[in-house]
Amino acid sequence: MSAVFDDGLSLFGVRRMMEGVVPPVLCTASADRVPNVSYLSLCEYVDPLHIALSYQFFNRSRENVLATRRAALTLDDPYTGAGVTLQLEYLRTETEGPVFERLRAKLMGVASHVGMDKVFRLRGADIYRVTEMRRVPGRKEFPAAAPRVDLAANSRLLSERMAHCEDLSELLDTLLGGLSDLLRIDHAMVWLTDASQQALTLLASRGYEVGGAGAEISVGEGLVGTAVREGVPVRVGHMMNMATYARAVRDSAGESGLTAMLKSEIPLPGLKEPRSQLAVPLRARGRVLGALFVESLHDQYFGYDDEDALMLLGGQFAVAMSLMQPPEQEPPAQAAARPAAPVTAGPALRLKRFGRDNSVFLDDVYLIRGVAGAILWKLVSEFLRSGRREFTNRELRLAPELRLPDVQDNLEVRLLLLQRRLAEQHVPIQLEKAGRGRMRLNVDGTVIMESEA
Amino acid sequence: MALTDDMIAMLSAGVAHQVGGCTNAGRPVVCRGLAAQHEAGRLLVILSSESGFEVLDAIRQNGNIALNITLPENYRSMSFVGNDAIVRGSGAAWRPLVTERHEAFRQQLNRFGFKPEYTDAWYHARDQDLVAVRFTPMLARNQTPGPGTGNSITLKPIEFEK
Repeated sequence: MSAVFDDGLSLFGVRRMMEGVVPPVLCTASADRVPNVSYLSLCEYVDPLHIALSYQFFNRSRENVLATRRAALTLDDPYTGAGVTLQLEYLRTETEGPVFERLRAKLMGVASHVGMDKVFRLRGADIYRVTEMRRVPGRKEFPAAAPRVDLAANSRLLSERMAHCEDLSELLDTLLGGLSDLLRIDHAMVWLTDASQQALTLLASRGYEVGGAGAEISVGEGLVGTAVREGVPVRVGHMMNMATYARAVRDSAGESGLTAMLKSEIPLPGLKEPRSQLAVPLRARGRVLGALFVESLHDQYFGYDDEDALMLLGGQFAVAMSLMQPPEQEPPAQAAARPAAPVTAGPALRLKRFGRDNSVFLDDVYLIRGVAGAILWKLVSEFLRSGRREFTNRELRLAPELRLPDVQDNLEVRLLLLQRRLAEQHVPIQLEKAGRGRMRLNVDGTVIMESEA
Repeated sequence: MALTDDMIAMLSAGVAHQVGGCTNAGRPVVCRGLAAQHEAGRLLVILSSESGFEVLDAIRQNGNIALNITLPENYRSMSFVGNDAIVRGSGAAWRPLVTERHEAFRQQLNRFGFKPEYTDAWYHARDQDLVAVRFTPMLARNQTPGPGTGNSITLKPIEFEK
């Protein structure tokens, strides 16, 4: 059976109507033609003839669809006020695969912000064939606002700038700076997965009062954690709308006795009142290395085109990051050929390490943990032992006590994270580059080291 | 059955209206409604004959109707189902009611950052296209998103004047 679409209409062309800014409306009917009308959480474009609808709860709509295999759906354009009505034929429910994962990631990304990830469980992605799509007649449409920038052209410019970067720090600053200058994205963060793939560490941010380097979240937490766990972009274009929707489900779940499954709401990171957010995974060599997260104070700031652009730029960043190993430097013995520094001047600095996770505290203030923490501990230990201030990346890579997870866990990234964390904290222990593949430790005080298991 | 006082109050609080039907051939159809009000145990719904022609045709075929009302500020949502819907009366007489409901809905969506152009687009209808549908609600369903969506909620018996 062929599909009947009004002239000029295509499912791809109405993708933006499926973003949930205006929730889709589903109409089903029982076998004896009693209609039921309800709002949907999510609608997802599958291909030119198919869409997927979220299946979260067994309710009247689902009962009707299973009985008749038919539904009508209306979608509203959040940019122009236009609308379309679709006739649908239910085909199947998928519980795995890319469509299911995309829907689940979107659902979880929103749900985890309001502590609803247990109740907002996606049971399946209902796949429908679109047999008919018509414009809603009589709408008084208004012109869509002009795009804020030429995304394709400016992304290309940014890509070219990134291609000229020679080290990771420059690459990171170029990416974040270019997002602001060229794409008018003023609030951005780069998150990295840790070696265990269980946590994410903030490498750098731009556009916030606090930099936050070294901050951690769990994989699966919020939009960023969801994008990493599922390996797909997650975008919310109308936070207030989605949060209200989520809270309605939360209240409804409470009435159904599901409150024991709920946890406290997680405060949104970054902007206090974001209206749009997008997290894209940073993928390279078949792995998700982290996520690029952007947000805005404006509704519906990021569209599919932004998603596409950031996926490409994030991919380029991830590949470059994973390849950016500086040339090997001279062996440690030569690197150490510098005069020993005095190690007992200035204020006392109590540096404490907990060996179970290599977390390091300076005067009881948390600094960093994991591989970056182990690196800091090694550098200061070596400094106290020999007075040496300069180190090569190579000696760190070969140091058995650091237990670097594998060659893909880029040492450069951990060093940059450590350097930025120390700089942001303005502590008397600082790390700076001392040439390619080499760094210098600056200590302004007398370090007393303590270690606990 | 009749609406509770709470339901009646919700009708004028700035709700979105969605009206569903199903043709005798089993084709589900849906459109936006423009206004609804309670009339002595019955519900009056105003549609645009231009955007709602399919729903009106389905109602004319079998009288089955579902009216969904949803309050944007909290997504509280319910629907009323009837099987005796009739399409009767059209024209400018319904404009004051539509204008009142439109204004309340606009104020609701304004909280979410929607500009007036959105509701203007959805509420655009010529006077001669305003059509009245009346039905007796036989059943009410909770449509607030969540596990209880679609469950019945209680209506009250119609009280006749003595």
